[in-house]
Amino acid sequence: MSTLTRTLGNLRKIGLKEYWHQLQYIGDTKAGVLVGVDKFGNKFYENKDELPLRTRWVDYAKHDFDAGHIEPLWHAWISYAVDTPPNQDPLMASADARPWAPKGHIPNRTFTRGAYKPYNTTKPKIEAWQPVAAPR
Amino acid sequence: MRPSMLSTARTGASLAVRARPSTSLVPFRASAAAPLSTSSHRHAAHESSSSVQPHGGSSGYSLARFGPRKEVPLPSQEGTKGLVQYALTTLDIVANWARQSSLWPMTFGLACCAVEMMHLSTPRYDQDRLGIIFRASPRQSDVMIVAGTLTNKMAPALRQVYDQMPDPRWVVSMGSCANGGGYYHYSYSVVRGCDRIVPVDVYVPGCPPTSEALMYGIFQLQRKMRNTKITRMWYRK
Repeated sequence: MSTLTRTLGNLRKIGLKEYWHQLQYIGDTKAGVLVGVDKFGNKFYENKDELPLRTRWVDYAKHDFDAGHIEPLWHAWISYAVDTPPNQDPLMASADARPWAPKGHIPNRTFTRGAYKPYNTTKPKIEAWQPVAAPR
Repeated sequence: MRPSMLSTARTGASLAVRARPSTSLVPFRASAAAPLSTSSHRHAAHESSSSVQPHGGSSGYSLARFGPRKEVPLPSQEGTKGLVQYALTTLDIVANWARQSSLWPMTFGLACCAVEMMHLSTPRYDQDRLGIIFRASPRQSDVMIVAGTLTNKMAPALRQVYDQMPDPRWVVSMGSCANGGGYYHYSYSVVRGCDRIVPVDVYVPGCPPTSEALMYGIFQLQRKMRNTKITRMWYRK
């Protein structure tokens, strides 16, 4: 719920610079507690006084942001699947010790050179006709 | 000597039907989930070492035909050079902002994926805040969301609806059936992927994908729009 008093109140808490930054990215003025920073540098905030499902938000590290930049455990937190953030959960501390789990989070490589490209390993069933012009 | 035809013929055909800046050359196959797996690395490694011949037979990459391999920057990776390009960058940003913030999809709901697409418009995911309004007419829409199994009987209608959409237009293929036939891949009456009929920008995997997955696909499409060089490509020509 965005009212003028709420916007002005949050603006007083966070300052003009952060206000402009938030306006560029989340399009709202929010004041909250910095819960943690993941390995990519995304900052996660929480404010329990906001409306339900708007209490947790992220400030992406990259300008060309993408939800795939969020690490899986932080993704669970920001999607309200777990209550405790991964940097405060003792169970999550042992998550790195699991040998079967992938070591690091791979972000979405779409629109880069690492994008997925399918290719075929079978012989094509049809052949193109190569036109040959007879010399005159 | 046989040219490597499967991929070239297909991209050639899909390029012929779209008159758009060549950023659309950048392949957007399986954008949402595939790069999260490690398979993209493996494929890239294979292609560079050419341990797997890409298109079968003698049509693989050979030094004699193409010369030494050289890396050419993608249109999206080229930097900004010169005063005119900087001015046109601002123009592009304005145009892309307008495009990405009022996305009107043509709903092509064919099967159960359409239910998830409807969930996107309901208050929990609330597509209206993104400026997405479902239009029933292809003449007023920018994006076509192909949601569900595309049968042979429906394919001409899909193509006709796509042809009726004004430029610029995008296609989101939603669900495994639309991506590549999915469960019905071996059926006699199903098109094995809607990219055989229309050029697809974003593939959303899943059976059916959740509304969140579709929303993520839409975000990817917005990212593609943001990086489209409209006037700069025109200037380069």
